[in-house]
Amino acid sequence: MAGLTEEQVSTQVGKVQVFRGGPAGPGAAGAVPLVYLHSAQGESNGLVLLERLADSFDTVAPVFPGFGESEGIDEIDDVEDAVFHLLDLFDQMGLGAAPVNIVGLSLGGWLAAEIATRYPERIGRLVLVNPAGLYIQGHEIKEIFGRDLDELALELFADQSHPVAVLMHQMASLATSTQGPDIPFEMLRPLLQSQAATAKLGWDPYLHNPKLQRRLYRVTAPTLIVHGAQDGLIPRAHAEAYAEGIADARLVDVEGAAHMLPLEKPDELAALVREFVAA
Amino acid sequence: MRFFSFHLMPYPALPESYDGPAWVTCPNELFDPAVGHEVYNRYLDELILADELGFDGVCVNEHHQNAYGIMPSPNLMGSILARQTKNAKIAIVGNALPLYDPPTRVAEEFAMIDNISGGRLIAGFVVGGGPEYYSFSMNPAHARERFAEAHEIIMRAWTEPGPFEFIGKHYKLRYVNTWPRPVQQPHPEVWIPGAGSLETMEFVAKHHYAYMGIPYFHISVFDRTFRMFREACEREGYEYDPLQAGWLEPIYVAETDEQARAEYESHFWYFVKRLLPGINISPPGYTSLRSIENILKGAKTFAINLETWDEVVEGQYAIVGSPETVTEKLIESLRRLGTGNLLGLFQLGTLPAHLTKKNLELFATEVMPKLRKEFPEGARVLGDQAAVA
Repeated sequence: MAGLTEEQVSTQVGKVQVFRGGPAGPGAAGAVPLVYLHSAQGESNGLVLLERLADSFDTVAPVFPGFGESEGIDEIDDVEDAVFHLLDLFDQMGLGAAPVNIVGLSLGGWLAAEIATRYPERIGRLVLVNPAGLYIQGHEIKEIFGRDLDELALELFADQSHPVAVLMHQMASLATSTQGPDIPFEMLRPLLQSQAATAKLGWDPYLHNPKLQRRLYRVTAPTLIVHGAQDGLIPRAHAEAYAEGIADARLVDVEGAAHMLPLEKPDELAALVREFVAA
Repeated sequence: MRFFSFHLMPYPALPESYDGPAWVTCPNELFDPAVGHEVYNRYLDELILADELGFDGVCVNEHHQNAYGIMPSPNLMGSILARQTKNAKIAIVGNALPLYDPPTRVAEEFAMIDNISGGRLIAGFVVGGGPEYYSFSMNPAHARERFAEAHEIIMRAWTEPGPFEFIGKHYKLRYVNTWPRPVQQPHPEVWIPGAGSLETMEFVAKHHYAYMGIPYFHISVFDRTFRMFREACEREGYEYDPLQAGWLEPIYVAETDEQARAEYESHFWYFVKRLLPGINISPPGYTSLRSIENILKGAKTFAINLETWDEVVEGQYAIVGSPETVTEKLIESLRRLGTGNLLGLFQLGTLPAHLTKKNLELFATEVMPKLRKEFPEGARVLGDQAAVA
């Protein structure tokens, strides 16, 4: 099994964490790198999916500013800034010369779509997993900010016995105990930081760019849209709208997975990606 | 010591069957305009009565989409009070600056009230509560930056000859030239309410404004808050003036201790259990991490967690009793906190008109004179023990 190693990359906004690994070692010549853009949950370090992907691809998983140990969120105010940060990061890592493949979950899927509409030539193949980024009237994305964690876990996970779902339920019961929250601040810190970073990009407009849908025609990369059949956060209509707006797109439903599909079905998703990239 | 009567203007008629939050999503079909007509006028009468009874000032504040305080525009109330009160300061604590775009609107409306009242306005500036950022869909990550820019625009609009240009990150105003200008020169007294955030205290200390401690915590939290504020002033190189600090506290006076509790308790619990739920939501990015850490230290003592009257009394979540009891407790606490402004909430929750009136009258005639004697205006308030500790 391929492992990923952590590196620090200097960008215009500050140093960011990147996890990278692949079958022939990081950055092997000839292989098209596969970039994984995480969701608002900040999943990266130790993610099983990344290890599965690294079995087949030179896998690059940057940690967005404000998440993990990545610096620079003060310099980023909106999606426009986020796109420029990612382009800068790709260039710093030598990923600017040839197209890369991108897999993005939720917020990460939105950012991938923003890059693909603006700079289509920089993307080889695109995989959008439960992507945010659009507003579909009557099929709104559920609230993620300030939510009761018990309720949110039900929307994020098809299986409530998943360890992260269990942790969310435990934190919910701590937060609502009559004695007030009694969670050590150091445990809360990363959560507060990543939520604040997400709010910068997606508080208003709420997790979408009103101009994105009519720009989707610009995406030239073959695109796979993956929808978790039990996703309680982002309705299927969003996946359908992406599939409709992007010329060369295919939509796949994965049963037994909700919004955090890469955590719940890492093997299935890795297989879908392998098959799609090889095709 | 200066005495203010603070009114939240609560909605007193939430149905028994409703047990959800009083903020943001509290369904507005629960608002009965007939009740609104009655209580808006009644609450204004209660503030006007405070002026007649010799209070130094009256206070109103701003909250949106909630049952806790049905005063989305305190400036409307302030303008009525400017006409209907004679002597009292009118403290609007405050306007949530990031919600006014452009913020010159605040400079204009406050200056109007200062003109109408003949220089009786106290200008309060706030970032706005956490729920406001949901109610306005305004990005909480920009709250502090917008507040800082808006504050600069307003103070410059009052003190610099216009027109001038202000080009900031959030506001780009090519012609700032506010008419009218305030009566009070160079500008009205400025108050900033805070819930223990260090940034806010440092900001207030730096500008020599006054800091108002937000209530509903155990009294020990206020000990820490005002000590931190005094230290912030010291770091700025000066000793704080007691008039730079205000303590906001629910107060109820009746003929005896027993009668006071009997008349007051159920109204207090309506406030705590029905109107507070939802007030403490803190949207992401709204408060800095170091401030959250500090605020969390007091979070366990937030009034919403109260269960028994003994806890209320012990933590001084409200000061309730005979004139003697209330006087004694206030003297003791004011000495410890060192604040030169006492902001009393004399109406709370469902407390009805006749009891609110009696409370104000008893306080003004039986308590206030003793406190004025104990704390002459301009004199030191802080006791020596607290100063050492």
